Amino acid sequence: MQSLKNHLSFITPLFILLFSIQFSTMLDRAVKDYESKLAGEYTIITVSKLPLSQKELQKKIPQIKEIKEIQKEKYINRLKKDISKSDLVFLRANLPKFYTIKLKSLPNSKKLQDISHKLKSVKGIQKVETFKKTFNKFHQFLRLSKSASFVFTLFISIISILLIIKQMEIWTLQHSQRMYIMGLFGAPYWMKSASLYKSVVIDAIIASILVGIAFLIIPKSANFASIYQDLGIDLRNFNFFSDTLTSLAIALLISIISVTVIILKQRQR
Amino acid sequence: MSNIIQANNLILAYNKNEPVIQNANFAVKAKDFIFLTGKSGSGKSTFLKSLYGELEVSGGELNVCGFDLHTITNKKLNLLRKHIGVIFQDYKLINEWTVERNVMLPLMIAGYSKEICKMQAHKLLKHVKLSHKTEKFPLELSGGEQQRVAMARALAHNPVLIIADEPTGNLDDYSSEVIWNLLKSVRQHIGSTIVVATHRIPQTMGIDYKQYFLDEGNIYAVS
Repeated sequence: MQSLKNHLSFITPLFILLFSIQFSTMLDRAVKDYESKLAGEYTIITVSKLPLSQKELQKKIPQIKEIKEIQKEKYINRLKKDISKSDLVFLRANLPKFYTIKLKSLPNSKKLQDISHKLKSVKGIQKVETFKKTFNKFHQFLRLSKSASFVFTLFISIISILLIIKQMEIWTLQHSQRMYIMGLFGAPYWMKSASLYKSVVIDAIIASILVGIAFLIIPKSANFASIYQDLGIDLRNFNFFSDTLTSLAIALLISIISVTVIILKQRQR
Repeated sequence: MSNIIQANNLILAYNKNEPVIQNANFAVKAKDFIFLTGKSGSGKSTFLKSLYGELEVSGGELNVCGFDLHTITNKKLNLLRKHIGVIFQDYKLINEWTVERNVMLPLMIAGYSKEICKMQAHKLLKHVKLSHKTEKFPLELSGGEQQRVAMARALAHNPVLIIADEPTGNLDDYSSEVIWNLLKSVRQHIGSTIVVATHRIPQTMGIDYKQYFLDEGNIYAVS
């Protein structure tokens, strides 16, 4: 019973730590996924007197993915009934060219302003519309979610690591008599502390698998699935094997470092 | 024959200004059976602790089984301890381990296979008449039985030197007699050197032994 309690006292903070890291990673992936989706949909409109070359513009602004001219004939044809033929000819001759510009990735507002300035400095361009206001609101919301998730993970990680270290201290005290007796018969450091390392490795494996299972189940629950679907976020961004292995690596690293630090501290006393 | 223990002008102290042992000279030959006597606080346990490296030497020279304890490294200390079997008044058994595993400990440390460790543990537990309690835990045994387990553990790796600190201090007369008989039998059959700190030497030892008396930081031979 005591042994189970000891293991749970270690597995619980480790599970919380891994869960928050995995949650943050998932959120980051979802935001990136959403950003790339937005980047695909996001367009800058440019009005230019002169024809624009994609190659030339890309030299100046490497973030540009493609430029497309908006065919104005379709819109002029709509006016055929309302204006005279001579006015139509005049309109055709004097109307500037309209372009849609797509970017490779979604920029932040500073980068967007920079792109707008560069576009305005191109010869012939008269107007650039970035739809900055709408864009900014959404982008800032995404950035806020990312920052909030990072702060949350950091906070949880610090608390979890403190709990893990506390538990390690309790374990070391429980093991100290055994380690002392083994030392009296010449047991080397690794042998004295082997059972502690064995315990943390087992607990790290259990905690990682539990986190993996939690992330297999939770996103599939009805509430989460509908929220993700409404936001248009891809739910397939959790890979049980690679993500669980990453969690395991983090868990092992934290556990082994904690045990080593506590044992060395105990040794110095 | 070279000495198993050689102390020259040995100083031992927990506190620099108050040495417990001061300029003591002491030598023990192989296969000697030594009794260290003296009143409480005379430094018997302190001296024994220095022999297995639990207490650092503050001054002078101390050589045990060919290891210089004044300059010994951790690695060499582990090596020295593999040549020593220690018995304590409070047994110092690992309570979470079975009797069998406790006895196997020095052999596991020495790197023997599990089968050999088990075989040797069973042999020793039979010798100390505890073969029926191999799967018990130390706290399920009486004091005398626990001390017999501690003895079996101390003998498991055929040590060159056995150090016993008040081995019968917590035992009744019957259990004490069993322990003394076991120590005698070890001396006769294995030939280990034995150093025992005790308040009282049993009246009928039946073997040759040397007695030393600790008083005011010095060690005197009792003729």
